[in-house]
Amino acid sequence: MAEIAIGIDLGTSNSCVAAVESDAPRVLPNAYGEGVTASVVAFGDDGRITVGNAARANVIHAPKTTVYSAKRLIGRYFFSEEVKKARAICSYDIVEGPNHGVRIRIRENDYSLPEISAMILRELKGIAEAQLGQAITKAVVTVPAYFNDNQRQATRDACRIAGLDALRILNEPTAAALAYGFGRELHQKVAVYDLGGGTFDISVLEIGKDVFEVLSTCGDTFLGGDDFDDRLIDLLADEFAAQHGVNPREDPFALEKLKVAAESAKKGLSVDDEVEIRIPDVALDSEGKGLSIGRTLGIGEYATLVNDLIQRTFKVCDEAMQQAGVVNRDLAGVILVGGPTRLPLIRHAVRDYFQLEPRTDVNPDEVVAMGAALHAASLLAPEQKAYLLDVTPLSLKIGVAGGLAETVIERNTPVPIDQTRTFTTFQDFQESVRIRVYQGESRHAAENELLGEFVFGGLARARRGETRIEVTFEINSDGIVHVTARDPATDQKASTQIKLSSGLSEEEIEQIIARGHAERVETALPGTDPSVRPGEAAAAFAARFGGPEDTPAADPPTAPESIGSLAGIGDEVEDVATLDEVAIAGSSEGEAVAAPDASLASLETGEIEVLPDELPDLEEILPLAPHEDPLSASHEPSASGRFEIELDPGDSAPIALDDRELFSAAGGDLGAEPESGEATPADPARKG
Amino acid sequence: MGTLAPAELRALARMLDDLDYYELLEAPRGASGAAIRDAYHAASRRFHPDACRHLDPEVRASIERIAKRVTEAYSVLRDPRRRRLYDERIASGCAERRLQLVESAAVATQRSREEREGRTPQGRRFFAQAVSDLARGETASAIRNLQMALTFEPGNPVFEERLVALRARR
Ligand SMILES: Nc1ncnc2c1ncn2[C@@H]1O[C@H](COP(=O)(O)OP(=O)(O)OP(=O)(O)O)[C@@H](O)[C@H]1O
Ligand SMILES: [Mg+2]
Repeated sequence: MAEIAIGIDLGTSNSCVAAVESDAPRVLPNAYGEGVTASVVAFGDDGRITVGNAARANVIHAPKTTVYSAKRLIGRYFFSEEVKKARAICSYDIVEGPNHGVRIRIRENDYSLPEISAMILRELKGIAEAQLGQAITKAVVTVPAYFNDNQRQATRDACRIAGLDALRILNEPTAAALAYGFGRELHQKVAVYDLGGGTFDISVLEIGKDVFEVLSTCGDTFLGGDDFDDRLIDLLADEFAAQHGVNPREDPFALEKLKVAAESAKKGLSVDDEVEIRIPDVALDSEGKGLSIGRTLGIGEYATLVNDLIQRTFKVCDEAMQQAGVVNRDLAGVILVGGPTRLPLIRHAVRDYFQLEPRTDVNPDEVVAMGAALHAASLLAPEQKAYLLDVTPLSLKIGVAGGLAETVIERNTPVPIDQTRTFTTFQDFQESVRIRVYQGESRHAAENELLGEFVFGGLARARRGETRIEVTFEINSDGIVHVTARDPATDQKASTQIKLSSGLSEEEIEQIIARGHAERVETALPGTDPSVRPGEAAAAFAARFGGPEDTPAADPPTAPESIGSLAGIGDEVEDVATLDEVAIAGSSEGEAVAAPDASLASLETGEIEVLPDELPDLEEILPLAPHEDPLSASHEPSASGRFEIELDPGDSAPIALDDRELFSAAGGDLGAEPESGEATPADPARKG
Repeated sequence: MGTLAPAELRALARMLDDLDYYELLEAPRGASGAAIRDAYHAASRRFHPDACRHLDPEVRASIERIAKRVTEAYSVLRDPRRRRLYDERIASGCAERRLQLVESAAVATQRSREEREGRTPQGRRFFAQAVSDLARGETASAIRNLQMALTFEPGNPVFEERLVALRARR
């Protein structure tokens, strides 16, 4: 039997699995005959774990032990706004884990998000195996286009834990466009409007026969149907509190009831103009009598409740269209994806915005999984039938002096790509440098997502400014970031896949997998278990720790002291902190470019550690303009040996985000750049 | 894998740094934006990382290198400002065949601002005056100031364009 790779749409609310059989993609129904399976995991009292719609029904009875919308939390830091918000509205316990990660506490056990997602993935894998009658080990798994590297890596980890080799992490709108245009030899531009349970994505694509080129993608990872429900929950809760003096939000059972009612009212409004909301026994009055909610809700009232959310999607659309350099009339189609797009309210708004009737021949719940399945099949086939050219949704940045972040790769740059920048040491005899990598659009480092930090040590002994360090930033086709540093003088190289700072360590993943093997019986299939070291994971592993092709001939002598070991760099942080200032070297043309793959000794990886409270002191990197040399002219180190950077708001060239004119089709955040003379936002010479 | 044999792919990966973006994409120097896009699509069909899963790791690494460079070439050539900068560099005999994207973006921004506001202090001053004249509706004075700006910066395209527009308005 020929091997089949499946396509999985791992959604916030619902997941869907599909496969290509005899050239056509088919959604694989679960045991209940349903095409979509709720992304809900219920932990029963008897230790049994249930996934899917049965688990979802459990929410009302066991809100503390039923986990839903886990995708909202995956790859996030505990201190992030998103997690704060989720803690306020979720009925299960969200607690802080190691490295500022997030864990879900079920009774006395803490589960990481990749583990929860893996339970859903395993269920989907099981559905596929039952339907296809063969063991499945390979999948293309989709993520919102706007997912950052942390979220993508965590999703990859989930696949590994589930025993799935993720052939590719594919963006959901790209998958939808593939399902729409596959094999049709189209030549047109389309927009994919994907409003799901928890995320909104918009992508603009150009389809050229078998090539699907994403021109731009924009999104909001915290905007979806759930937010619509929250609006209605708030309304109902406020009305109830006003009437009875009891806040139903304080009781998890009551809150779940409101949630279920709000969602079904919303769904009702996708068919009717008015719905009845009836919720019995929301709370008990002083005599122990049940208090209920009963009211009608019309489409007009609902529209006012959610209108600003809908408008928020169009703000994002504006951005995407502008980044793609297209206007409405360039588009030949608008593809709707996601449950909420069934609401006539949204369909009409989309039609008005794009001046185009959206396609209705695409099933908004299944199209992403179908596209993923098509791509999965294509990846196993000897001849590619479609070529996906995607972009990176977020700018990749490096932390520089003054708490700023400088762009290395702008958002909406096509991937895969690599870019090399040269830095120099900032102190005499500096032994190591620390590089912080961010994703986001703010020029303030702290407002971006920290992907991790990277310590490169063992530098040759030299005066400040003499050492050069070439740092290569790479984003692969999965949107995953990889950073390599190289010291051309010693030819030493350290490479790290920027590993989710709050995420699971290699050891933790292996432990979870091992534990899973001990516990699990139902889906283990003999001889096909890829979780030991699937191809992709092995490649990532090799990249991270020095694969077979670049195993060091001998351990570089200085590595262990100067670079954090995998066990954690806690102790070494202090040492590095005083030594790690680097500046971008004033490289004239030609100088900055390294052959990134010269075969070099591999250093041990720098473990990535998040120290949110200590950020400012550790990351001082100063961009240096070669022509004006602001360094010698005006930036004398202060007594502490660090630069104070002043912002000059009047000369804000590096912040292109507010300056629409500076955008081009390939535009984005035109970050400070050492070679241009605009590099130093604080260059006092430019003031006035 | 497309049309190239593994040995050719390896050779191409090795000589990447000697190829300019046009050579890599197999597009003529004067290619239109649409032609650049078509060349990018064609190159992507040949060198897409997805299409080389079955090949041995070394060949795969070569393809991945080429694919990244193809993407970079496209990112530069599809953007008129970056492309102009790149063309100038190549024409000036610069040996470096790569243009770092952020670098080119920043240079282009700097340059477009210079063109907009002037490269010289006097040019900037008169241009700024012309702008404020216009805000007050004093077209004649705006024209005079633009002419002054142009005497300091002959050929500044933004100044010229504004001047032509203003004269047409009168
Ligand atoms: N008929 C309907 N009318 C309105 N909303 C609906 C309808 N059906 C489902 N929804 C809503 O759609 C949302 C789930 O959409 P969907 O299943 O597309 O999201 P998802 O794929 O799980 O999430 P994401 O893509 O954000 O990860 C929920 O908020 C659900 O209430
Ligand atoms: Mg979805």
